[in-house]
Order: sequence, then C-alpha cells, then structure tokens
Amino acid sequence: MSVQSHDLHLLTGAFALDALTGDELDEFERHLEQCAPCAEEVRGLRETAARLGMATAIEPPPWMREQVLAATGRIRQLPPSDVRLITADGPRRRRRLGRRLPRPIAVTAMAAAIVALAVLQVGTRHQLQQAQISNQTIASVLSASDARIELSSSAVGGRVTAVISPHDREAVITASGMPTPSGAQVYQLWVISPAGARSVGLLPGSSARATSPVLADDVQPGDQLAITIEPAGGTKQPTTIPIVEIHTRP
Amino acid sequence: MNTPSVGPQPHGRGHAEGHGHDLAGLLAQVACGDHAAFEAVYDQLAGSVYGVARKVLRDPAQSEEVAQEVLLEVWRSACRFDPARGSAAAWVMTIAHRRAVDRVRAENAATAREQKAAPDSGTSEDVFELVDMALDRQRVRRCMGRLSALQAEAIKLAYYGGYSYPEVAGLLGLPLGTVKTRIRDGLIRLRDCMEVAQ
Repeated sequence: MSVQSHDLHLLTGAFALDALTGDELDEFERHLEQCAPCAEEVRGLRETAARLGMATAIEPPPWMREQVLAATGRIRQLPPSDVRLITADGPRRRRRLGRRLPRPIAVTAMAAAIVALAVLQVGTRHQLQQAQISNQTIASVLSASDARIELSSSAVGGRVTAVISPHDREAVITASGMPTPSGAQVYQLWVISPAGARSVGLLPGSSARATSPVLADDVQPGDQLAITIEPAGGTKQPTTIPIVEIHTRP
Repeated sequence: MNTPSVGPQPHGRGHAEGHGHDLAGLLAQVACGDHAAFEAVYDQLAGSVYGVARKVLRDPAQSEEVAQEVLLEVWRSACRFDPARGSAAAWVMTIAHRRAVDRVRAENAATAREQKAAPDSGTSEDVFELVDMALDRQRVRRCMGRLSALQAEAIKLAYYGGYSYPEVAGLLGLPLGTVKTRIRDGLIRLRDCMEVAQ
C-alpha cells in the first residue's frame, strides 16, 4: 500500500460523516471503487453514523405526514432499470442518457404535433403558463424511448389519444371532437387498476379540436385509462359507464 | 387500495435497523409503488430524518423542508436501495444527513457559523434532548462517553455540526491529519461499542 493510498484510507471516518468536500471527496470516492477493505469499513461506519442520526429523533410536525404522503401521489418513482445509470446527479444524467437513446421518431413527431395543437388552443395566459409547466413532463413522456400511441373512439363521438410510456409509468391523454358537455357535466379521466379507480382529473376545455394534454402518472402496465361523464367538479369514483377505455398492455 | 404485507422479509440486516421492523423489506415494496409500505417507512424514520435535519440546520422551517425532501427522495429512489450495501436505515439516514449538510454548507454564512461554532460543545447536551428512542439514545450516549474528548468533539462537530473535517481542524485548532485520524478512530470505537451492545 502506497503512502498516498494509506492516507486515503484514513479518510473513511470523515467520509462516513459527510465531512469530505471538493477534490478530496472525488479522490476518495475513486479510491473506494478499488479498495474493498475501505468500502467495507465505510459500510460499517455509515451504520454507526446512522445511529448517531437516529439518536436525534424528534417528532416532526403532524402536518408533515399528510403532506409527504399526499406528495407521493404526484412524484414519479425511478424505475428499477435505471438503477445503474443514475448517480448522485440523477435527473440531469438521466436526461443526457435519454437523448442518446434511440427512439421511434414517428411517435415523437406525432406526439409533438398533439401537444402543439393542444397548446395552440389553450386560451388565457395563465392557462398557457400552466400548460408550459406540465408540458415539460409531458414532453418527457412523449420522447420516452418506449412511448406508444393508443387511439380510441369515444362512445359519444370524437376520439381520444393516449401516449403511454410503460417504462416511465406515465401516459399523456388528449381528446378531440368530443361534444362539449352540458354546463352541469364534465369529462373525468381515470386510471383503473386492480386496486380500483383513481381520478387523474378533468379533461380541460373540450371542443371540436384537441383538449390540452393531461398527464397521468403511476400508470402500471395492464392498467386501464377511462373517461366518464360526471357532474361538474368531478367525483371521487366513477359513477357512469366509461365512454372510452384504453388498455395499457401489460 | 394496496394491502401491505409488512411481515418479515429476507432482507433485514444491518446494525442501524435497531427497533425497525424490516425496513429493507418495506423499501422493496415502496420501490414497487406501494403507498402503504411507504407510510410504514415514514412512521419508522420520519422522526430520525427530521431530528438529524434539526440537529444540523437548527432552523425548524428549513429542517422541515429538508426532511420532506429526504422522505420524498426515499419514495422516489427506493429502487436504488441495495440491501447488500448496508441497512435500510443507514441508507435513509445517509441521504438525510447529506441533504442537511449540503443545505447548511450552501448557505454557509461563514460568520454566523463560526460564531455558533465556538460554544458548540453545547451540542453534547442538546443532542440528546427530546429523543424518543430511549434505548438507542442511551447506547449512543454510553459509547460516546468511551471516546477521548477530542474524538467525541471532532465527531460531533462533523456529524451534528455539519462541518467538513478541515473546518473541524480549524475550530479545534488541530492539524488536519490529527482530526482525520481522531474521527476515524473514534467512529471505529463507537462502531465496536455499539456492536457489542447489540
């Protein structure tokens, strides 16, 4: 063992306490990859550090629980297949990789057209801003390497387009040509899984042309996307027979 | 909705599991999008995550933010947890401590921190207040008591204070090399002490 690597080995403790910074941190992390005994020591010291942390446990404010649990419904989980590709700077790295991945160009182009159409018809500035925010997520679904388009006719006329990424477990849905519902009614979108129906939201401003796209997250392969007609404001569970059902292939 | 099966799973291991009920198994379920399993993980670890954030950041509002970020990160990246590389609790606490430390360093209003640092031996008292995991806390306290004063102080400043080890050296007026070895020797002693106590 060289003097230098011996020195590096002495940093296991500081590393386990997150007390290394800058170049020294980089250097030590590289060293860890080649030094099995160091890695083993770090593993044990991390457990010890965790105990120091757990000894500080205090009751978090009660509202936090509700807030965190609610947020999990909106946050996309990393798929297991990405495990090896993602490092500390996860999302950035992932986007870079995504760009390199081959993807079906036809799907992407068509999907982009759907979004463009939808954005065109969004009215107010506020709505436009909202649309732009969700469009970033939507664009990522549309450009997913496994994105697939499913078209389906609605029982009341018009049709529904879904772009589904099984890998990202997300789907983007737009409808076109569906009759405008009466003032007391809305179109509501659902994800139906063996566990039951989960509302994704209301289809915004339906008209002869495409609605602005709606993003459904946590869509598991085999789940169904469905649209029902519901009283204004929507309901917690579907109360009518769906006018459209789209199966996501398992 | 999803029915969690929170029974014993084969992955449970690691020293930091403590009183935890098979966190590793729960995390595997969280990785599959199981909200109920995540609730169980929350109930076991939110206090520790929030506690360490409070310890490092001190400010309640910032600690709440960091704790929420950490818990949501656990939800998001549960599939990255590898039981072969350590216990589930250590994985979560590593994320929590790193986030808290990143935040405190990003802010690094150097003056404020240096002023805080001098009397930071106060750490030794308030670290252990309001803790509800009595057993774990006692064990940590007892093992901490077996370290040399210098080892204990260096570890507390680094872990609970969020200082880098060169900063710790500066605060204690010691050479870098000394602090490096004190931290390592002290942690190894803590580790051995806590293992014996298991």
